[in-house]
Amino acid sequence: MMGPGRGYRRMGRAGRGSVWSAGGRWPYLLLALMLLAAVPAMAAGTTDGLSVEERIAPIGRVQVEGGPEVAPSFGEAVRAEPEPPLAAPQPQRKDYPDIGISSRAVVWVVAQMHLFFGALVLAVPLFVLVIELTGVLTRDERYDDMAHEFMKISLVGFSITAIIGGTLALALFMLYPDFMAYMMRVFRVQWLWYALLFFVESFFLYTYYYGWNALRYGNRKWVHLTLGLLLNGAGMTIMVLANSWATFMMAPSGVSETGAVTGTVWEAMKGPLWNPINLHRFIANIGFGGAVVGAYAAFKFLSTRDPKLRAHYDWMGYTSNFIAILAFLPLPFAGYWLMAEIYAYSQQMGITAMGGILAWLFIVQAVLIGTILLAGNFYLWSGMSRTEGSVRYQWLVKYIAAILVICFLTWMTPHTLILSAKEIATLGGSHHRILGPLGIMPAKNIAVNLMLVVTFLSFQIYRRSDKVATVSWAPVGNAFMVAIYIVAMANIVFAGVYYGYFTNTVYKVGSSVLQVASTLVVIVSGLTIDGFMYKGAKKLPSHWGRVSNRSQYALFALPIAFTWLMGLMGYVRSSVKTYWHVYTIMKDNSPDNFIPTIGYAGNMITLVTVLFVLFVLFMFWIANLSGTRQPRPAATGVEGGAT
Amino acid sequence: MTGKAMGKGTLLAAFLLAFVVVVLFFYGLDHLVMGIQGLPLNPDLSPAG
Repeated sequence: MMGPGRGYRRMGRAGRGSVWSAGGRWPYLLLALMLLAAVPAMAAGTTDGLSVEERIAPIGRVQVEGGPEVAPSFGEAVRAEPEPPLAAPQPQRKDYPDIGISSRAVVWVVAQMHLFFGALVLAVPLFVLVIELTGVLTRDERYDDMAHEFMKISLVGFSITAIIGGTLALALFMLYPDFMAYMMRVFRVQWLWYALLFFVESFFLYTYYYGWNALRYGNRKWVHLTLGLLLNGAGMTIMVLANSWATFMMAPSGVSETGAVTGTVWEAMKGPLWNPINLHRFIANIGFGGAVVGAYAAFKFLSTRDPKLRAHYDWMGYTSNFIAILAFLPLPFAGYWLMAEIYAYSQQMGITAMGGILAWLFIVQAVLIGTILLAGNFYLWSGMSRTEGSVRYQWLVKYIAAILVICFLTWMTPHTLILSAKEIATLGGSHHRILGPLGIMPAKNIAVNLMLVVTFLSFQIYRRSDKVATVSWAPVGNAFMVAIYIVAMANIVFAGVYYGYFTNTVYKVGSSVLQVASTLVVIVSGLTIDGFMYKGAKKLPSHWGRVSNRSQYALFALPIAFTWLMGLMGYVRSSVKTYWHVYTIMKDNSPDNFIPTIGYAGNMITLVTVLFVLFVLFMFWIANLSGTRQPRPAATGVEGGAT
Repeated sequence: MTGKAMGKGTLLAAFLLAFVVVVLFFYGLDHLVMGIQGLPLNPDLSPAG
């Protein structure tokens, strides 16, 4: 008996020739002929005049002797009785696998981690492209080097995102099989496009990063910029596809009341909350990405004594903070649009978010946003020490700080206090007679808009610190700028107080748009006036690296507050569905189909924030490691010692 | 030209002029933004609806 090993050896020896010998060639020719014969049939989709559908269909009913006559053609019978559209599944408690710990907690942690890293790796290439383009336009290679370094951080994050994304998919399919089956049915082929886009994004990411030095100058640089643009195109498409699943769960479209799929994939995607979420996440991701890479710059700044490197990382930290705060300024307005659309879609959902148990989380949100603004402003004020020209503006800092603190305290004042019976009796009710009015939206709107206006003022004086305007109309430009600040702030307070407390609800809600418009006028006019006024301005010396270590801790505070905030508001967004997987269509019957206590939610959000920070530290370490080179050991005279 | 070169009086006049222009601008903005939302205002900015 010939064993497989012997046979393989025989093939190896005589073999390659014998396969193509007269005796061994025919099976291949036959196979080729069979394939050739099959191709036309496959192309036509028929065999013996039958379609594929007819060939694989069940045989049909058997006619029993004496019984009613069966339909003559199976195909006609199928067409005559169309199946009713399949409703969304309604799983029972037993349909959810029990793994001994809360399935929701597992998915919560993994999904939030995936979102954090996804946000980071989608955002960084966006501003990297802008920085790279700035380098090309200004012919300053420092921008190019900085953009390259930002990408290095993003590259490690991309792998982590993919690993956690795979884990999330497995967890969802294992723990929520019926829900995932339904989502597969609704979004159909979109899932494959989503997977394909990962390949596309990976291709552009690696060619963009590794091709950086090969495509650095001349026309090649434009090829490189195009790669960056395509990378961002793929990344943005991935983001909006994933957003459509979240918004479908909140406000389903393209399906009937029972959840039966009635529309196309596009109709399922373009629900009423899709674009508000797209905009909100797009802006938030940039702010978040800027904050995380700012922490990297601070980490590098604090860990070196080399003045050149400190100057480089100081500049990098400043740029990151600039990106984070600039993206953060319009974010409340995008959030406002999202909440308005949620209310428009379902008042109940809006009230659950902002008037029920989740309303308390908006107080925590105020604390976190206040932290971000205070840290961002503090960093800017510290950074003003880089140039002597800042003395002209330092007197303003104490007023900005006072407004920030007063607004911060107003914003975090709750409407209803958690009090004991004795405290309520002492207070004369659950609302404080002075602080009570500060707990409602008009006061919050005034606070947030004023905080944004003065944060922009910090930016403006920071950017003016190292310049002296030389245009003849500079005093007039300044006069207009001062007038705009005064009148805009007065308008914000007037609109909030008058329409908020002394007119009807419709005018109260409408006045918040007026406040937003006033804030935007300050930002747009500030950028426009300064853009013209400081064109060709005299530059004062700026000493990068001459900044306090204390300021760098503000750069650490930013990503932590951003991460906590994203975790918090992501939880609110997801919880407004209450006990539904897909709102009003598919009920959540799992053991976790309730809104957890605020304390539990707070612990979960803290857990994912700490986990993310640990992963980010790992990411920084890896990015640092790639630039570390072990020195060659000194020759000891021992053979092989220097190898 | 700096503020000093311009003279205090001229600077004050420039600021007052700028202030009036900006106040008028924001007055118009209030009417426009509320009007777009279907919430008309009286000339004294009280609700007209």
